Amino acid sequence: MRPGHRALYVGSFVAGLALFLLAHSAVAHAILLESSPSLNGTVGGPDVSIKLRFNVRIDTSRSRLTLVAPDASSRPLEISLDTSPDVLTSRASGLKAGGYRLRWQVLASDGHITRGEIPFQVTGP
Amino acid sequence: MTRLLQIFGFFSVLFRGATLSLQSLTIGGIAFLLVVVGRSSAESETLRSACLRWIRRAALALAVMQVVYVLANALILMQSTDMTFAQVSGATFAIAGVLASASALTIAALAGAPRSRGHAGMLLPAAVILVSSVMTSHSVARLEYRVPLTMFTALHQAATATWLGGLPYLLIGLRGSPDLEFARQLTARFSKLALCSVAVLATAGLTLSLAYVGSLNAIYGTSYGIMVATKVVLFGILLLLGALNFQIVHRSQGAAAIASLRRFGEAEIGIGITVILTAASLTSLPPAADLQQGRVSAAEIVARISPRLPRLASPSLRDLPEDIYANQQKSIDAGVLSTASFIPGQAGTRPNTPAEKSWSEYNHHWAGIIVLSIGFLALLAQAGHASWARNWPLIFLALSVFLIIRSDPETWPLGPNGFWVTFTDPEVLVHRIFALLVVALAIFEWRVQTGRVASGGARLVFPLLVAAASALLLTHSHSLGNIKEEVLAELSHAPLATLGVIAGWSRWLELRLPSKNRTRHVMARLWPVCFVLIGLLLLNYREM
Repeated sequence: MRPGHRALYVGSFVAGLALFLLAHSAVAHAILLESSPSLNGTVGGPDVSIKLRFNVRIDTSRSRLTLVAPDASSRPLEISLDTSPDVLTSRASGLKAGGYRLRWQVLASDGHITRGEIPFQVTGP
Repeated sequence: MTRLLQIFGFFSVLFRGATLSLQSLTIGGIAFLLVVVGRSSAESETLRSACLRWIRRAALALAVMQVVYVLANALILMQSTDMTFAQVSGATFAIAGVLASASALTIAALAGAPRSRGHAGMLLPAAVILVSSVMTSHSVARLEYRVPLTMFTALHQAATATWLGGLPYLLIGLRGSPDLEFARQLTARFSKLALCSVAVLATAGLTLSLAYVGSLNAIYGTSYGIMVATKVVLFGILLLLGALNFQIVHRSQGAAAIASLRRFGEAEIGIGITVILTAASLTSLPPAADLQQGRVSAAEIVARISPRLPRLASPSLRDLPEDIYANQQKSIDAGVLSTASFIPGQAGTRPNTPAEKSWSEYNHHWAGIIVLSIGFLALLAQAGHASWARNWPLIFLALSVFLIIRSDPETWPLGPNGFWVTFTDPEVLVHRIFALLVVALAIFEWRVQTGRVASGGARLVFPLLVAAASALLLTHSHSLGNIKEEVLAELSHAPLATLGVIAGWSRWLELRLPSKNRTRHVMARLWPVCFVLIGLLLLNYREM
């Protein structure tokens, strides 16, 4: 092998190997099995109980829930720690009627981070 | 911020794949050293030194990779929440990463220690590496049967390491083997270790499959099931190569036998890496047992794969939803989230429009024609009656240009997103790198086929790239929400990728096996046939 070519061969191999690894689609495996409020569901206000159930154990203290109001302002929701290992619960108070979005991000016990969003409607009391 | 998360999300996967491979190499090396390498002779001493050197290198690389992986994952968590580094550091993945890194450094120190007499001291840190790896597997996050699943996962990973991770050390031993007898003893001892490992691997794998897949319908109806089935097929190919090695050890004699053992070992390592990466890919998919709804039925599969005429007319560019692309880009930039589960930095998924599906089918069908031509011309060139047919690799250049123009219609040169977006969107970037690799593949193999290169590493570029690109398909387009369309697409990608792996490594063996080995002639016919089959599968690829 000529020295000039060696770098090319090694480069091609490394590039192929990098593709090998880079191509691995970056998805995590905690999936939301059910939620309250449900996706595009309607709940009565002003106080709304929130419950999200996943397919795996969740690191509750390192997971987050955020509520996005109709005016696009957002506020974090406190997550209850004494629940089943696959469940996140919280409570949002003082909600006016309108369209809200519940943003969730969870850290599964195996280290995978997953997130998503649940749009829902709040009706007046 | 979203771009930053996207890039780090992307790289964390790279680190994960490398971590699993290095872990197998480290643990496999220790097992090889303790079980396979004898103690009595000077030859054994030389091999022991070589093994220790490579164990040390693998362990050091593992330690670095673990730190990088933990930092990348921690950064993603910190950037996507309000958490501090101190808060993140208590997470399971961080603890597991630190444990693995410290253990790997311990192994590196023990392997590099002067006049080290016994090596059993490396077993404890090796076990800790295994435990830390299991801490980030499916089993620890399960709600039911957590303890037995954790144990079977540990056994599965340990057996993988001792078998596939030990193979490179066998090659090191065979390469430095002073005589046939030493090589035969070495291979016989490794065969016993490999047989035990395979038995444990298969038992643990079957048990885990029962728990995570659960039913026949889930095997073909979910992404997870399809990947498990593909892994089983690749495992079968590895067993076949192992059986060929076993035959050589017990029947053949002479230097050609050692050369054959080494060449089969090389192919086993390559396919073994593919299996490990497929396994890494599995750990990031939701187990099939968790996806009870939205599975693909047998009737839907039959309807999808029933032969139809290929689509040779493309939909107009105007039919593609440029407004959707523009909105999607705005959503990514604004950090708007999807309703489906996804990881930080991803924009979630949306169903493709009929025009997009037609566009993709057209791309696949023309690619099929190109690959089919390559397969037939390669067979024709081998027959020796048409010397012009030896120029078949140049057809890959057409494939490359085709991919650059059409694979991402939302991006340059056809779409509204400029050239530089190529470097910020991981999916587009992968497509572009892939197209460039096809150019490399064309040039290298054309030089080989036309006799411009008769020996050396240039001949191996083609099989290596084909094998790498096939592994790309195996780890591509996983759907977290198990969208039916993506499962169906994966169902067509899995056999394509498997055929590609076979094509790449059979070409490798054709080039590398000694001329006396009759298997070489079988391999020479096998890879063009694989290309023909890939072409036919591509021609029948459907998205609707």
